[in-house]
Amino acid sequence: MNVRLQMAMVFHLDKCIGCHTCSIACKNVWTDRRGAEYMWWNNVETKPGTGYPTAWEDQDRYRGGWVQGSDGKLRLRGFSKGGTLESIFHQPYLPTIDDYYEPFTYRYQDLFDTPEGADQPTARPVSMITGKPIDIQAGPNWDDDLGGSPVYAENDPNLTHVSEEDKRLLFELERMTFFYVPRICNHCLNPSCVAACPSGAIYKRGEDGVVLINQEACRGWRFCVTACPYKKSYYNWSTGKSEKCILCFPRIETGQAPACFHSCVGRIRYFGGLLYDADKLPAAASVPEGELVDAHRGIILNPNDPAVVAGARKNGLGPDVIEACRRSPVYQYVIDWKLALPLHAEFRTIPMLFYVPPLMPVMATVENGAYDTTETGLFGVVDNMRLPITYLARLFSAGNEGHVRYALKKQIAVRAHRRMVTVGDLDRDAVTSMMQEVGADAAELDAIYRLTSLPTEKERYVIPPSHREEAEQMLKTDVLRAKGETGFGFLERPVRGT
Amino acid sequence: MTDRMNALLRTAVVVGSVVLMQGTSRAQDAADPTGALFEKQCYSCHNIGSGKKKGPDLKGILQRRDRAWLHKFIASPKSMKASGDKIAVGLFREFAPEEMPDQMLTPLQIEDFLNFIDKVTKSGKVFVPQSGQLSRPVRPGDIEAGYAYFTGKKKLAAGGPACISCHSVQGVTPLGGGTLGLDLTQANARYTNIELASILKAPAFPTMSRLFANNPLTDEEVVQVFAYLQSTKTRTPDPGRSAFAFVLIGMAGTVACLGLMNFRWRARLRTGVRKDFVAQAVERHRKNLRSADHSHRAGRDA
Repeated sequence: MNVRLQMAMVFHLDKCIGCHTCSIACKNVWTDRRGAEYMWWNNVETKPGTGYPTAWEDQDRYRGGWVQGSDGKLRLRGFSKGGTLESIFHQPYLPTIDDYYEPFTYRYQDLFDTPEGADQPTARPVSMITGKPIDIQAGPNWDDDLGGSPVYAENDPNLTHVSEEDKRLLFELERMTFFYVPRICNHCLNPSCVAACPSGAIYKRGEDGVVLINQEACRGWRFCVTACPYKKSYYNWSTGKSEKCILCFPRIETGQAPACFHSCVGRIRYFGGLLYDADKLPAAASVPEGELVDAHRGIILNPNDPAVVAGARKNGLGPDVIEACRRSPVYQYVIDWKLALPLHAEFRTIPMLFYVPPLMPVMATVENGAYDTTETGLFGVVDNMRLPITYLARLFSAGNEGHVRYALKKQIAVRAHRRMVTVGDLDRDAVTSMMQEVGADAAELDAIYRLTSLPTEKERYVIPPSHREEAEQMLKTDVLRAKGETGFGFLERPVRGT
Repeated sequence: MTDRMNALLRTAVVVGSVVLMQGTSRAQDAADPTGALFEKQCYSCHNIGSGKKKGPDLKGILQRRDRAWLHKFIASPKSMKASGDKIAVGLFREFAPEEMPDQMLTPLQIEDFLNFIDKVTKSGKVFVPQSGQLSRPVRPGDIEAGYAYFTGKKKLAAGGPACISCHSVQGVTPLGGGTLGLDLTQANARYTNIELASILKAPAFPTMSRLFANNPLTDEEVVQVFAYLQSTKTRTPDPGRSAFAFVLIGMAGTVACLGLMNFRWRARLRTGVRKDFVAQAVERHRKNLRSADHSHRAGRDA
């Protein structure tokens, strides 16, 4: 057993209101720079929709992630070593700037400087790349709330497995539905961006599993951009280097949640440590698609298991770190309750960002001008949701509908249980049988309710101490001086060609 | 046809080399140490008694010129020309563009040379160099081997540079050979067998003598390169070969490579996923409009 620590995340989609506050917080902190205008390390997408960059999930176009060869071994979908060499000066699978969007601003000064005339002055949109006036064609959330559905929502790559009839119903007026998927770098356990980098500039930090691009080693070949199936590595055309979400590591090293977590209005985000067995990684990434979620859970270790604790201690993890892992909300959502699922496990990168699938409005029919939402059976709503289970399963469980169905049923069970407790209008036997079906007792459902609806900040973000002092000692720097200088130092800009 | 010509050529080579072997039986003059030095340092350009080469025939030189003048001239022909000496200027003009290099000889050595030339002149014989003698008769396979040495496919044993580095021969390779030295097509027509063999064995030309001073061709290599050069005697030298051809070929190659890259990586012209989606949606919408318009008209007509 090779016990390692990974900082992991849960996004509770049932709580997300799609306000983009997380995106703005990230933009203001990290990507409000020349060459980074088009980047959204954190973005919020409407589903069904094609997201940002357009149709990023379609790996036939973008060739990200891993595929399993006939020999069972994983190889990058994008390029072999020879292919990397052949394509080093031009890659055919990169998203174009139009697939992201051409970043723009407005010439506000014109509103003040325009001489008096017959017409009102206007602020013309200008490209932030060329500085010239542009005709705005797209934005990072152009399909927000199903805007432009015939172009975007209908081309959602996850709809390939949905039947034509379901698709027709999905886009029928008055039945249309959508939900939001906020996305950041998944800080995968099996990151394909790291594997694809010809310069060896990308690495996964040993102490907390954050995936970073060394700006001094990056040569801007952009193989990470192709290799990342989530398209969360971006090329900065100004510095000539690629950049990505850094999980706000300066914040987590000082015990604060990343900016996008911190600013989340709906409090949908949970952050905590997971212990995992690095030795089991290759096997877990190589199982058939339907078993990927189980394999995924299989490598995460129980921090209360004495053997795991011993292994963690052997690998240099302190008791305070293990203690933080025991209180990790991520462990509860992913392992204890099995509510949170990885996004697109079939890319086989083993992402460490998990999503609680959203409970969608039920299918309703309009009768005599009133919505009829009569439920049949205890969990009748699950299979009658306006968004087909097949669709959610494509997103969150590599096609295994059982996992999604279970997570949805459990959320319904929580609601039924709490309604019985607080309102008391539900039949106790019916609720008990629901609890039995999802294999949860009242205490567990109450715990889910508490962490979902009433968590304190300290419960949502359980950040293990990063022990910078140990790292500084390892690097043989003056520990006390490093402590005194924290947050201060010299800014080294990334420079093209170095 | 070509087979027959090859056979004829090979026969000619063999016959020629037999004649050469007979010719060398008279080469006793070179046994003298001064003769050997003459052979090494002078013979590439000067004959004694068998006519002009790159420089004048030296037979009877003491009868034609003053001994003191000869001393001065041989020691440094260039300064003689620079000093405006009439005879020197005349000689340089006659044998242009060849220029006799300064020989770095001591007055004693020059005296030895003059005496040696006088001796040969007085004996009434022709100077035949020892190095003009091939170690063995030429065999048909030697042309092939000589070609390999010429083009550098096979390395010279002592490490000397391949002939093609500086010289060309008509048809030696598709792009010809070097242009620094002379075109060696018909070298055997310009030089007799003995002269050519001697040059190969001990070249006295300023550039070549330095290049091959410490790494001369072996006897076997001399025979083979000789055979190759002999075989090119009948070819006509290519008159108009210039560096311009190289530039043209380079430009054509560049254009071809760019074209190939252009084709191989044509996927770069992709406009992007989103634009395709928009175009498809617009097309779908147009089709719907057309069919709606059509059915509307049909309804009205009915």
